[in-house]
Amino acid sequence: MKSKSKKSNLYSFWFVVPSLAIFCIFFLYPIVTSLYYSMTVWNFDSATFCGLDNYKMFFSENSLSSSIVHTLIYAFLTSGLKVVIAFFIAIFLTSKIRTKGFIRSCVFFPNLVSTMAVGLTFCALMHPTKGLFNVVLQAIGFSPINFLGDINLALYSVIATDVWKGLSISVVIYIAGVQSIDKTYYEAASIDGASAWQQLKSITLPLVAPSQNSIIILSLIGGLRTFDLIWAMTGGGPGFATDVMASVIYKEYAYGFYGLSTAGNVIMLVLISCIAFPLQHFLMKREEAIQ
Amino acid sequence: MKKSVVAVSLAAVMALGSVPATVFAEDGAKPYEGVTLNMWMSVSEYQDGTKAVMEKATEELGMEFQVEINPGGTEGDNIIKTRCASGDLPDITNYNSGSLLTALNPKEHFLDITDEEMTQKFDDTFLSCVSQDDRVYGAPFTTTQAGAVVYWKPDYEELGLEVPKTWDEFVSNCQALKDAGKTPVYLSGGDTWTTQVLFLGDNYNVLAKNPSFADDFTAGTAKFATDEGALASWDKYADLVDFYNADSTAAKYEDGLEAMATGQATHWFILTQVVPLMIAAHPEAEENIGVFAVPGDDAENAGLTVWEPNAWYINKDSANTEAALAFLDFWYQEENMDLYINTYGANGPSCIKGYTLPDSVAPAIREDMQAYFDEGKTAPALEFLTPVKGSTCEQITTSAALGQIDGATAAQMYDDDCKKSAVQQGLGWE
Amino acid sequence: MKREKRRLLIADILGVLVTVIIFIIPFYFMFVNSLKSQQEANLLNIAWPSELHFENYSAVFSYANYQLLTAYKNSIILTLFTVIGLIFTGAMAGYVIQRRNDRVMKTISWVIMLGLMIPAAILPTINLLQKLHIYKTMFGMVMVEIALQTPFTIMLFRGYMASIPTELEEAARIDGCNPWQVFIQIINPLLKPIRATVIILTAVTTFNDFTNPLYFLPGADNTTVQLTLYNYKGQFSSSYNMLFADIILITIPMLILFIFFNKRIVDGMVAGSVKG
Repeated sequence: MKSKSKKSNLYSFWFVVPSLAIFCIFFLYPIVTSLYYSMTVWNFDSATFCGLDNYKMFFSENSLSSSIVHTLIYAFLTSGLKVVIAFFIAIFLTSKIRTKGFIRSCVFFPNLVSTMAVGLTFCALMHPTKGLFNVVLQAIGFSPINFLGDINLALYSVIATDVWKGLSISVVIYIAGVQSIDKTYYEAASIDGASAWQQLKSITLPLVAPSQNSIIILSLIGGLRTFDLIWAMTGGGPGFATDVMASVIYKEYAYGFYGLSTAGNVIMLVLISCIAFPLQHFLMKREEAIQ
Repeated sequence: MKKSVVAVSLAAVMALGSVPATVFAEDGAKPYEGVTLNMWMSVSEYQDGTKAVMEKATEELGMEFQVEINPGGTEGDNIIKTRCASGDLPDITNYNSGSLLTALNPKEHFLDITDEEMTQKFDDTFLSCVSQDDRVYGAPFTTTQAGAVVYWKPDYEELGLEVPKTWDEFVSNCQALKDAGKTPVYLSGGDTWTTQVLFLGDNYNVLAKNPSFADDFTAGTAKFATDEGALASWDKYADLVDFYNADSTAAKYEDGLEAMATGQATHWFILTQVVPLMIAAHPEAEENIGVFAVPGDDAENAGLTVWEPNAWYINKDSANTEAALAFLDFWYQEENMDLYINTYGANGPSCIKGYTLPDSVAPAIREDMQAYFDEGKTAPALEFLTPVKGSTCEQITTSAALGQIDGATAAQMYDDDCKKSAVQQGLGWE
Repeated sequence: MKREKRRLLIADILGVLVTVIIFIIPFYFMFVNSLKSQQEANLLNIAWPSELHFENYSAVFSYANYQLLTAYKNSIILTLFTVIGLIFTGAMAGYVIQRRNDRVMKTISWVIMLGLMIPAAILPTINLLQKLHIYKTMFGMVMVEIALQTPFTIMLFRGYMASIPTELEEAARIDGCNPWQVFIQIINPLLKPIRATVIILTAVTTFNDFTNPLYFLPGADNTTVQLTLYNYKGQFSSSYNMLFADIILITIPMLILFIFFNKRIVDGMVAGSVKG
C-alpha cells in the first residue's frame, strides 16, 4: 500500500493528461460520435436513423468477402516478409562488415519518400511493356510480366512494394535488439564450439523475441488497415483484384455514403482487434516463456 | 506584345464610346480592381485557354485570381463533398454537372443564377443538368463532348473500311484491322475511368430501344440485367477482348492520346475532350482524326451520347459574388469564348445558343460530331438523366473490359451497386 | 584471419551490390527522369537523358506563383510543431504509463492503442474543429496530427523507459526533488536516443502526410508539399519529368533530417522498445 502511494506520488497522473486530452478530444471523441452516424443514412443535410441497415448493407457488398481475403493476405504476407527479411538484414548489418552504415542508410531511404511518390514510381517501374523490370526480364530471356495488370499478380506486386518501403523500421528495431544482446553469451558459445548458425539459432533468435514481437504487431496492424499504397498503385483494381477493406470504405466515403462507410470502419476495427489482441497476448506469453 | 495590342484596341474601342456599360465603370477604371477571386479546379481545367481568359479578365475587369488545384477523380469528389459539408467552398468552383452535382445538393451551397442575363444564353439540355427544383446553379465551363469512338482515318482508307453504323459492322472492321496486323482497339486500363466510356457512351442506343429507361431506372423498376438494350451495352465488352493493345491494363489516358495521334491504334472509346489534346500534341494529325458514335444495332438510327460540360458554380456565401458574376458574364462574351477555343480547342459543339465554333476547331469536332447534332441524333449520357450512378462503375467496366466477368455478371453487379447508391440517396428502392 | 578478412570483403561487396540494385536504382530512376524532356520521360527508362533539362526543377519551383515555397513553409511549420508537441507529451505519458503500470494506466494505454487500429473519423473531426473555431488553422491541424501519432510515440517512449533503471529517480526523490524536477533533470536527458528516433519517424510521417491536410487544412494558402504532386498528376494529364522533379524536391527536407539523425536512430530502439 505504502509503496503504491509513493509511486503515484512520484509518477504524477498529470504527466499523462496532455497526451490523453489531445488524443481523446481530437481522435476518440470524433470516433465515438461516428458510431452513432454508422446507424444512419447520413448525407450533407440530414442523418436519418436506420438501425443496423448499414451493417447489413456493408456485409452484402459484392466485393466485401474478397476484400477481407485481400486484407488478410496483405497483412500476413507483408508482416511475415518483413519479419524474416529484416532479421537477416539486421544480422548482416550487425556483423563486422565495413559498409554497414551505407547499407543501413540505403535501406532507410524508401521510408523518407511519401507513399504516393513511391506508388507512382513503382507503377512506372512495373509498366507491362516499357517498365524497367520488364525490360530487364526480357533482356535475360524471360517473357514480360504484367505486374499490376494481372489480377492474380497485382496484389503481390503491391505487397512487394510495401515490403520495399516499410522494411527499414523492422530492420532498425531488430538491429537494436541484436545489439543489446550480451556479448558474453556468444563468447561462451564459441568456447563450447557452437557454429555461427547454431549461435544464430539458439542465442540471437530467442533473445530478439521482444523486438520481433513488436515488429509482428506493428506491421500486422499496419497491413490490416493498409490503404495509401494500394490506392496510389492500383486504386483497388484491376477490377476488384486488390480491393482491401480500407479502400472499399474509402470509396464509399468518397461517394458520400458517410453512414455506410462509418459502419465499415467499425467492422474493420472489430476485425483488427479480433486479430491483434489475441496475437499480442500469445506473443507476450511466448516471450515470457523464453526468458 | 499581345498586351499592347489589347491595350491599343481597347483604347480605340473606348474612344468610339461603344463600350458596354456592364464591363466598364464610367470613368474607365477597372471595376473589380483589388478583388481576389478564389477559384477551385483540377489541373485539367486550369489550362492555357482558361488562363488566357482569366488574364484578359484581370486586364479588363481588374479582379485577380487565386487558383487552388483540386486532385480530380475520386479524391476530387471526396474533397468537394467534404468541403461542402464543412461549408468551406471557394468563391468559384469548377465541377461536374449532372448526377455528381445533384449529389452535392447544390441549392444549399451555390448561388442561384436563374435570373442572370447570361443564363438566357445556355441551351435547355445544359440547364437541365445544373438545375435543382427548376433553379439554375451552374454555368458551362466549356463545350459539350461525347463518349464516342475516336478513330484513325488513314487505317480506314488503307483497308477501304466504312464508318460502322452497327455494332456487328464495328466488330468485323476490328477483325479486318487485326488481320491486317493493326491494333484495332486501344484500351487505357491504367486510367480506369476510361473503361467506362463504352458502357456510358452506349446510352443513345439504350434509349433508342427503350425511351423510358432512364426514368424507370431512377424509379427502380428498370434494371441493366433485365432491360434488353441496357444488357447489350455490357455484352459489348466481351466482343473486344481480343482486339486490345499489349499494355491495355497499364496504359494511361496519356498513352492512349499519344498512340492514337500517331496512328498506333485504330479505335479508342473515349470522351472527345481528348481531341484538342491530341491536336495540341500532334498538330499534323488534325486531318487524320475522326469521331463516330458508339454503334448500336439499328443502322438507320446511329446516334451520339453527349456529355454536358463541367460548370462554374459560385459560392452563395461568398463575399465576392458580384465580381464572380461579372467574371462569368465576361466568360460568355463571344470574343472571350473564341479566345478560349482558339487557345485550347473545343471538345464538341457549344451549349451556348447561337454560338458557332470558330474555324480553328478540328474537323473531328466541327464536322463529324456536328453532323449528329444537326440531325438531332444525340442523347445525354445516363448520368445527366438520373442521380443514380454506381460507386464502383469503373471497377466493373474494367473487369468486363479485361474479360474477367461476362456481360450478364457485370450488369448484375452494377445493378447491386446502383441499389446501394439509391438507398443512400433515399430513393426508396427495394 | 586472412580467410575471414576475405569473407568479409566478399560480404561487403555483395551487400553493397544488392543494396544498390534494390534500393538505389528506383531513386536513380526518379533522378534521371526528372532531367528529361516530357516525351523522353514518358519512355520510363533509366537511360541518361539525351539532353539535360535542369529547367524542370526551376519550372517546378516557380509553378503557380512559387506555390512550392508556400507548401514548404506550411509543411515545415506543421512538422515542426507536431514533432515538438509529440516529444513532450509522448515522453511524459510514456514515462508515467511505464512506471506506474497499474490498472488505470493499463486501461489508458489500451484506449490509446486503439488509435493504432482505426483510421480517424473525418467529418466528425471537421465538425469538432469548426465548433472549436480552429478549422483551417495550423493549430487545429497540429492537434489532429499529434492525436493521430500519439499512440505510436507513447509506445516508443514507454518501451525505452523499461530500459532505464528506477534507482536514479528514487535517489533523486530522497534528495527532495518533486516529480516534475525528477522528470526534467533525471529522466529527460536519458531519453535522448529515443527522442532522435521519435523525431525522425514522426517528422517523416507528418511531412509526407497527404490526406489529413487535404481534409483539415484546405485552401490555396494552406497547400502542403504532398499536394503539389497533383500539379503534375491530373486525371487527364501527367508529366513524369515534372512529377519526379517535384518528388525529389519534396523529399530533400526529410533527407537532410535523416542525415542529421541517422546515427542515433538505432540507439533509441533498444530491446523490446516497441511493445504493444
